[in-house]
Parts: sequence; structure tokens; C-alpha cells
Amino acid sequence: MSKPKAIIIGAGFTGVATAHDLALRGFDITVVDRGPIANGTSGRTHGLLHSGGRYAVNDKESAIECIEENTILRKIVPGVIEPNGGLFVAINESDMAYGEDFIEGCEACHIPIEELTPQQALRLEPNLNPNILAAFLVPDGTFDPLRLAMAFAATAKSNGAKFKLYTEVTGLILNGQGNVTGIKVWDRTNDERYEIYGDIVVNATGAWVGEITAMAGVDVPIRPTPGVMVAFDQRLTHHAINRLNKPGDGDIVLPQRQMVVVGTTSFEVQDLDYVPVIEDHVKLMLERGAELLPAIKNTNMRGAYMATRPLLGSGGSGRSISRTFKCFDHKETHGIDGLVTITGGKATTLRAMAEKTADVVCEKLNISAACTTKEVPLISYREFYRLPNNY
Amino acid sequence: MSTTKTKWNVNFKVYRKKGQNPSHYDQFTLEVDPDEYVLDAIERIWAFHDRSLTFRHACHHSTCGACGMLVNGVEKLSCITYIRDVVEDGGTLVIDPMRNFPVVSDLVVDMSLFFDRLEMVGQRQVVPVSDETIGDGKKAQSPTNGKEYLRLSDCIECGLCISACPIAATNPDYLGPAILAGAQQNGLDRKPELLQIVDQENGLWRCHSVYECTAVCPSNVDPAWRIMDLRRQVTAQRLKRLFR
Amino acid sequence: MMSEPSRKSGISQAIRWFDPRGRDIGTIAFILNRITALGLTFYLFLHLIVLGQLAQGAEAYDGFLATIRSPIYIFGELLVIAAGLYHGLNGIRVGLTSFGIAVPQQKKLFYWLLAIAVLGSLIFGIRMFTA
Repeated sequence: MSKPKAIIIGAGFTGVATAHDLALRGFDITVVDRGPIANGTSGRTHGLLHSGGRYAVNDKESAIECIEENTILRKIVPGVIEPNGGLFVAINESDMAYGEDFIEGCEACHIPIEELTPQQALRLEPNLNPNILAAFLVPDGTFDPLRLAMAFAATAKSNGAKFKLYTEVTGLILNGQGNVTGIKVWDRTNDERYEIYGDIVVNATGAWVGEITAMAGVDVPIRPTPGVMVAFDQRLTHHAINRLNKPGDGDIVLPQRQMVVVGTTSFEVQDLDYVPVIEDHVKLMLERGAELLPAIKNTNMRGAYMATRPLLGSGGSGRSISRTFKCFDHKETHGIDGLVTITGGKATTLRAMAEKTADVVCEKLNISAACTTKEVPLISYREFYRLPNNY
Repeated sequence: MSTTKTKWNVNFKVYRKKGQNPSHYDQFTLEVDPDEYVLDAIERIWAFHDRSLTFRHACHHSTCGACGMLVNGVEKLSCITYIRDVVEDGGTLVIDPMRNFPVVSDLVVDMSLFFDRLEMVGQRQVVPVSDETIGDGKKAQSPTNGKEYLRLSDCIECGLCISACPIAATNPDYLGPAILAGAQQNGLDRKPELLQIVDQENGLWRCHSVYECTAVCPSNVDPAWRIMDLRRQVTAQRLKRLFR
Repeated sequence: MMSEPSRKSGISQAIRWFDPRGRDIGTIAFILNRITALGLTFYLFLHLIVLGQLAQGAEAYDGFLATIRSPIYIFGELLVIAAGLYHGLNGIRVGLTSFGIAVPQQKKLFYWLLAIAVLGSLIFGIRMFTA
């Protein structure tokens, strides 16, 4: 019996995690992306393995997703994670006032926290602002964005998934009934154009989902929302440092190798393919980061870049839109079969997004296959390059 | 970032290769901010000038190692290379893919053998902090529960050291700096098979002390030092065995 | 996937090590080491040929001595001495660092040893041309 064929557009977190899930469920997968693995938002994510503490007050649904997925990822792909935990620190009275809600919210979402005295926190992380008023330990972590994606991609590949990178989708192929049956692609490595057919097309292009759905005359409520990240040249902390307050600009500093990275800001754009770095945003990161780790002021800047969040719109400004995800079955939304779109979400919830998407796909194709990705450990990300047939 | 927002005009000569066609250089003139990074300009070339340009990139902050390339003949990690450090207003930047790897398309090279060898020596991406940061030898651990802090290693597997090594240029069988450094990082005691893997003519002993690898490494690995350190360890082990 | 062999053949790759543009001082040391090695080897070869001819008797020897007094030959010998000094001293550096000794100081070591080689060559040069 031949395997059902799925085409996944997008080799960012959502695409590779979905490829992994569907490959385990017995699908024949082809993943296409106009660039290399994680060349869009996923590669430039801050890298925070969320404990969910950030959303425990204002977005409990996201918070619960985060802590569950955090635990799973630590188990299935430890080889790309710095698992040293995180701190939420209060610098001023406004932060302190938030503390009560924070404690309640974390408890409601089952996020294990531990309150520390400022002295304890400073012993843990000597580079912290010496004037902190309160601190909470949370199970945050840092992950390497590309290698997290590659680990999923490698495992999918080891289960038969094919990856066509540097291959841009130029159009969707619709049949007589107006349903999607495949994609038209342009292989940018050799300038060849051809078609790929499948039983289902999964649009996992994150912030770019609207561009793909437009090829079928469909729109989705995506509100691409970039933000800046600034990397500094010294590893000033081993823990992720979060500002104890509602989500704002520059309130997270992460360690990553021998650097720290401060993020982020939030604004809307139309042109996704190139978002220039805004100098004022960079300056803001320096200031806000230094409020948490004063030594940042004396540390060389190593890199500055923009990453575009795939926020699902429905009123509200960037920060107050839910950070959870949604899978759109376009047969339901617009009467077009053969196409589903998965977008929204955060890096930490990639596996859950894939599970939901794979469930939708299996249901549409009448395939009963349960998700096993919670338990299956991922193979070494290096296998992605070692396994044949890829760049 | 400059406060007066000076703009420079810089010519980019970018190596192009598609399929079996011969390679050539395409010219693009861009207005750039000298405080931007070379990768930003390359991205703009793709976004606004030529959508057929292929190049590897992901994190844009020197942790993924994807964006290694030659900038005016020198190995650079393009995401952290300031334009002002490599060219002047009105100047030209020649962008080539890394050396010593087969070219797939434009600036993208085939790194499968490289990753295969890294896996073979077991370079560890996640290591105890004190293992990796050459420092005071103290364990970096949580004062509350004694758990050792882990971190992602210095080596980001960018391949720039392989590109810069003249031995790797003439001998594709040479394991190369990143791989030997990875073996040293993993450790002979952790993986005894490494002794055979590195102690051979295309391993440790093929290095000719050029030190270019350390010069171009963007990530504090110091592969040359690690190769020499591993030689010392290997020699000590062999001598010990001889006199057992 | 389409991957093709490294762009150039072995010969042109081998010649590329000759190119110091954009490279650090370690490469200069390496290039000079190779050039002096080639030079010294060539000199050894010449030396053996000359000795072979000298085995033919006293006349050949006297004729040879007359030739080598000319400035060109003295200069050539100075080059050999300079090459020998450089190669030997840098060789010490390579030997030491090859076993993990003084690796972080390898650049400084190079400059000092180069200075000694240059100084030594100057001294020999002066003595040889004023003798």
C-alpha cells in the first residue's frame, strides 16, 4: 500500500517538526523551502526555551503549552539546549507589584518556580543588577535555533522525508474542483522549474503563510510582527534573565555560547523579505539589557538582527495577541481542499504545533495514526547533512 | 551603529554558479550603512536585486555557523563582519563561497563530509561550562544544587578553518582543524577510539603549523592550539604504552 | 543533490599556498619555510654535483675556487646561509609548538626568531663581502 504523500512548504520549526511527526505516522514527505533550513524567523529566534513564566499572567493558554513542551524538548533533544534555568528579576516597584500575579499565574499553569532573595540571586548570577528587589527561578533554557530545526529535520530524513532546499514555491496547482493537488517550484540551485504532487499540502511558512495562501486566492489572519535582537560579546550569565513584569521590550537576556543576546521589540511590517535593523531599537536593547545586566554597557556588540514573529491577528497590538498557534483547514475556511495552514506559535511549541497539524492532516485523509513525537528522541542534527540527498 | 547615518556606496562582486554552467561573478552596487554586516547586504541583494542568489544563513548572530564565506579572499562569518571593517566607501567586496568544499550553488557549499567527520570524532555541542571555557579550572555550577552548568560549545561548525587551511586545500583526506579540535574537545579519555582516528598521517600529523585556522576562527575555538595539545596528549599516551 | 569536485586541480591548489594575500603571519612563516626548504634542497643538490665534479682532480678544484670568489656566488652563498638560518630557527618554533609548547606565543616567537635570522644574515653578509 503506498504511503500518503504530504508536501510541506517551509523548513522552519513548524515545517521540520511536522515532517518529523508525519514521517513517523507513515507519510511520504517532501519539504520545500526557498532557502536553507531555518532561514526565516526560526533561525533568528531569540532561542528561549520558555518555561512559560512570561505568559503565566496574560496568556495562560500559551504558558501551559510552553511548560509542557519545555519538558518534552529537554527529553527528546537535549543535545541543542543549554538547560541552566532562568530568573525573573524585579528591578523596581512596578516589577514588584507584578510579582503576586506572577506567582499565582505560574501556579495555575503548573510552572515550577522558586522565590529567591536578592542575595541568593546575585550569588547565582553575580553580573545581575546589584539593586534587584526580588527574583524567581524558573525552568527556562537556551537552545541553538538552527540545530533544533536540524535535529527534527534529520530525524524526519532518517524516516524517509525528502528535503528540497533552495526551492521556491511559485504557485499552487489546483484541480478542476478548485482543490490543491500540488505545487509549482523553482529550484534556485540549478534554475530548474518543475511540479510536485501530493495528497496534502501543508503551508508551514510562518510569517509568510499569507503569501502562499494568496496563490489559492485565500487569506489568513497573519500579522507579521518583527523585533530586534542584539548579541553582545561576553557570556555574562548562565541563566536566562527575564524582567518580572508584563511582556515588554528588551526584557529578556539569554546566554548563548560565549555571548548574551538581548531581545526584543515589536512592530508591524508589510515587506517580510527584508526587515532592516532599526538603530533606535538596538539602542533600546542596550539600555534595557543593562538594567538587568549592567556589564552589557561595557561589552562589545557582536550582532544585531530582526526576526519576524508570525502572530495570529484578531485585534489587539502585537504584544497582546495570543502567542498560541492555529491550524487552518482551508476546506473549512474557504472550501479549498488539499491545503492546510499552520502558523502562529513560538519556537518552544514547535512539536505541539506539528502534532496538531499532523492530526488535522490525518483526519482529512482518513488515516488513523497516533502521534508519537512526545516520546521519540531525535537523532543527531548532524545526520541531516550525513544522510544522502541533501545540501 | 553610527548616529549620523552615513551611507556608503559599495560594489559587490558575488560568485555565481548554477548547475553545470561555468562560474562567474555578478556585480551589484548597493547603498550600505558601514555599521551593517556583510550578510545584511547579501540578503538585500537577494531580496531586491536577484532572487536566484543562494546562500546559507540562519541565526544572524554567530551561533549557527551557517553564513561562512570569503570576503575579499578572507574567511569571514558574514553575519558579524562589519562592512566598515572590510571595505571603504566606493570600494569593492568580492564574495566567494568557502574554499575546500564542493560548491553546490553560488555561495552554498556541500558540508556533508565535514559533518560526517565531526560526528565521527564526537565534537560535543553541549558541554559543561568549565570544560569549554579555558579558564580558572573551577567548575561552573549552581551554588544551590551543585548541578554543573552546561553551555553550547565554542565551535559553531562554520568550516572557516577548513577553508583557510592550505593543507586542507591540497589534501581532501586531511581531517582538518575543526575536526581535530573537536576530537581534542571531546577528549581521548572520553572516547579512546579517537587515538586511532587522529593519530594517523591524515590526522594530527598532517598539520603544518600554519595557524591560519586560529586566525580566522570567529568563535574562540583556537583549533591550532587544540591540535598541538592533542599531539602532546597522543605522544604522551604512545610513549606510555611503549614503556609499559 | 549536485556536488562537484573542488574547483581546481591539485597543482593550482598547491600553488595557492604561495599566496599570502589576506592571510595572517603564520602563513608567511609557512610560505618562507617552504621556499627556504626548496632552496636548501636545491643547494644540496648543486653541492653534490659540484663535489662529484671535484672528484675529478686538483685542476677542477682550483678552477672551481676561482669561480666561487665572484660576487654573484658569494651572494648566492649568503642566500643559502639566510635560508638555513631562517629555516632552522623557524624549525625550532615549529618543533616546539608542534608538541604544545609556547603555542599561544607562536606569533611573538616568530618575530623574534625572524629578527635573529635577519641579524645573523646581515652579520654573515658583512663578513663575507668584506673578507
